Amino acid sequence: MKEGEYPRARLDCLTREFGDELLVYDQQRNVGHCLNPTAAAAWKLCDGKKDTSELANILTQQFSAPVDEPVVLLALEELSKARLLIEVEKPVRRTSRREAIRAIGIAGAIALPLVTSLVAPTPARAASCLPKLSTCATNAQCCSGNCNASSHKCH
Amino acid sequence: MKKLDRLGWAAGIGVRAFGVHAGVRVNAAGMLPRISGLMPPGWKNSGRATVQRLYSLVVAGDSQRAGLRRMHILYADSERIARDTELDQVLATLETDLHRYVAESSPDMTFLHAGVVGWQGRAILLPGRSLSGKTTLVQEMLRLGATYYSDEFAVVDDSGNVHPFPRPLGIREDATYAQTKYSAEQLGATSGLKPLPVGAVVMCKYRAGARWKPTPLSHGRGALELMANSIAVRNRPQHTLRRIHKLVSSAVFVKGTRGEASETAASILDLLNSAVRQEKA
Repeated sequence: MKEGEYPRARLDCLTREFGDELLVYDQQRNVGHCLNPTAAAAWKLCDGKKDTSELANILTQQFSAPVDEPVVLLALEELSKARLLIEVEKPVRRTSRREAIRAIGIAGAIALPLVTSLVAPTPARAASCLPKLSTCATNAQCCSGNCNASSHKCH
Repeated sequence: MKKLDRLGWAAGIGVRAFGVHAGVRVNAAGMLPRISGLMPPGWKNSGRATVQRLYSLVVAGDSQRAGLRRMHILYADSERIARDTELDQVLATLETDLHRYVAESSPDMTFLHAGVVGWQGRAILLPGRSLSGKTTLVQEMLRLGATYYSDEFAVVDDSGNVHPFPRPLGIREDATYAQTKYSAEQLGATSGLKPLPVGAVVMCKYRAGARWKPTPLSHGRGALELMANSIAVRNRPQHTLRRIHKLVSSAVFVKGTRGEASETAASILDLLNSAVRQEKA
């Protein structure tokens, strides 16, 4: 889905705040994401009406520290990779982590934006069971429920 | 299911555990005591006529016909989930499937895949998949005086407290991964009775010879790791996130690679000791 010109956060995800961090659960893809404070602040501001320089200005005020455009671009790239943004017509200009670090400076007052993602397990995967080709003794030990009697491997 | 219903069932048992109703029927009444021993911890007899999941166990008879293999068969509702000449194998499947079903379907609790012990009035959670060494670490902590809560599930209520799920520890003793079951009492420890707030969550992987140098994790990262070990997050993400949010508030999170369990267990208990001391100060 392509909409508008400016980055817009998806609104169909579940969220929980953990201090300044944000846990986002994508119910469509069954993936959880932890947004660090910089990425979380950027994501919350993505309403489809602000360009990157506006986002940088607002984040500068919020963090009471300079947040330059490369940092915003990196945040958008991280969020985009995690599929937490609605795809925009005008693609976000790419930036490198190095460029963002340079913009923040070595003793930067804010952390580089970071999104950590983990796939939510299916119930069977989450519970104790052995994956395919693991050595097993009983069927109950295998996620597949099938422990080969001669090879003693999960099938 | 109708075909199954028509088979001659000699006895049955209805159980309620963590808000889930299940039933087991069997064609040999003498099996009931063994089946009762496989129920989830804290189960109670349920008088309900309808259950959410019905297991049907067909125990093979004593036919002496040459060349005939006697198969024991287990159904979950109408699906055949085990068929084996070894009754123990079929019963192991019943236990695994029932516990997993309760963990997945409980409306009252959120089940996280984790080993749990109690220490200083707090719970220590050791989330991890199979073969991550949870049980070994739990066993070592019990040796050091911790209270046993579970080697499989952290059962989290609405307040974020962790309830005991003290099923016998399944200890893998050799390369075949066959598990031998031991109760906490057989290992010289005691089982916890009361729900506890979480003091520490420790994510670790085993690597032979590794030194335990854990790194702290933020609450957000810790919560993400717990989500990835949650049994029902796909079915009930809202509930799961809410309970993880509550749980996280009182906990410290660390992650690392561990070597021998003895060194790591002592270090984890020390970590919680320091956290409790700091909190009191």
